Amino acid sequence: MGLDFVGQGAGQTDGNIITTTIDKVVNWGRKNSLWPMPFGTACCAIEMMATLASKFDLSRFGSEAIRFSPRQSDLLIVSGRISIKMMPVLKRIYDQMPDPKWVISMGACASCGGVFDTYTLIQGVDQFIPVDVYIPGCPPRPEDLIDAVLQVQQKITSGASPKGVEAVYE
Amino acid sequence: MSEENQVEEQPKPLVLEKLEANHADALLAQDESRGTIVVVIHKEQAYAVLEYLKTDPELAYTFLVDVTAVDNSQMESELMQFDYARFMVVYQLYSYQGQCRLRVKVPVHENDLSVASVTELWQGANWLERETYDMFGINFEGHPDLRRILMPDDFEGYPLRKDYPLRGRGERESFNFDKQNV
Ligand code: SF4
Repeated sequence: MGLDFVGQGAGQTDGNIITTTIDKVVNWGRKNSLWPMPFGTACCAIEMMATLASKFDLSRFGSEAIRFSPRQSDLLIVSGRISIKMMPVLKRIYDQMPDPKWVISMGACASCGGVFDTYTLIQGVDQFIPVDVYIPGCPPRPEDLIDAVLQVQQKITSGASPKGVEAVYE
Repeated sequence: MSEENQVEEQPKPLVLEKLEANHADALLAQDESRGTIVVVIHKEQAYAVLEYLKTDPELAYTFLVDVTAVDNSQMESELMQFDYARFMVVYQLYSYQGQCRLRVKVPVHENDLSVASVTELWQGANWLERETYDMFGINFEGHPDLRRILMPDDFEGYPLRKDYPLRGRGERESFNFDKQNV
């Protein structure tokens, strides 16, 4: 979990005292209670719903509190095609999320436009918002989304800052 | 064999009979496509004919299923058929009473892209005509609110026209995200 249980072996404190750093505790909390903001615009969203539902059950990993308000969430899941008319909406939702925030680009369409190389489709949302984890596939399996959430959790544990923060301070 | 191949003489559909009797001058052509009767109507009389089709108690095509258009500019044979009319506005009608469909086509020349709006007859035509305007640039005269419906308001060009490139003219890259009203 990233926490050090000291004193256990020494038998001095009966394992009742934990020493750690503030950062580690905060990150540990963040990691285990990611609140996703679903931005489902196409077929990938169906797989996202399956991931959240009972069969795949994303709540096993602490991410079951789906927020439909960007102001209450810290993980944006972009699942589906984003058209040039939708991109400003997505950008605004991203901007409304409080820091620190992470972004998962789910599926071929969100990541690179997929098979829709047409006049109206954004060829990859990372042109406009910073993306932390990409998921390949059309559509990706629910396991892939779970894996992406776990990758975000790993990033948080490692103390790395989200792509968005890097972009701001670069 | 010859008997099997022989097509049974069908009685003429009622709608064609009535159109020939009442609007013979508007009727440019008639056809059948996979069980649907297709009539091509002169643009000037399109509204009158559509109104007749809707209000006639025997025909009663009360349901407007769809309004769209076809760009024939790259189909020489189609283009020549109606005096080089580039666009064909298509109305799909359905009659609950007769349980039958009818396709009404109206040829539209490129230099005069206006057609009478049918929003007075069918309220549902409002968005359908807006979409046709958005995609093909057909002007529906008398439409209460003819704006783009799918593309952004400041979009230029009509994407379903055949001369519009599939990947666009750089809108994907040059689109102004900050100016959009979201
Ligand atoms: S990647 Fe495939 S499944 Fe996902 S939104 Fe695009 S077309 Fe649909």
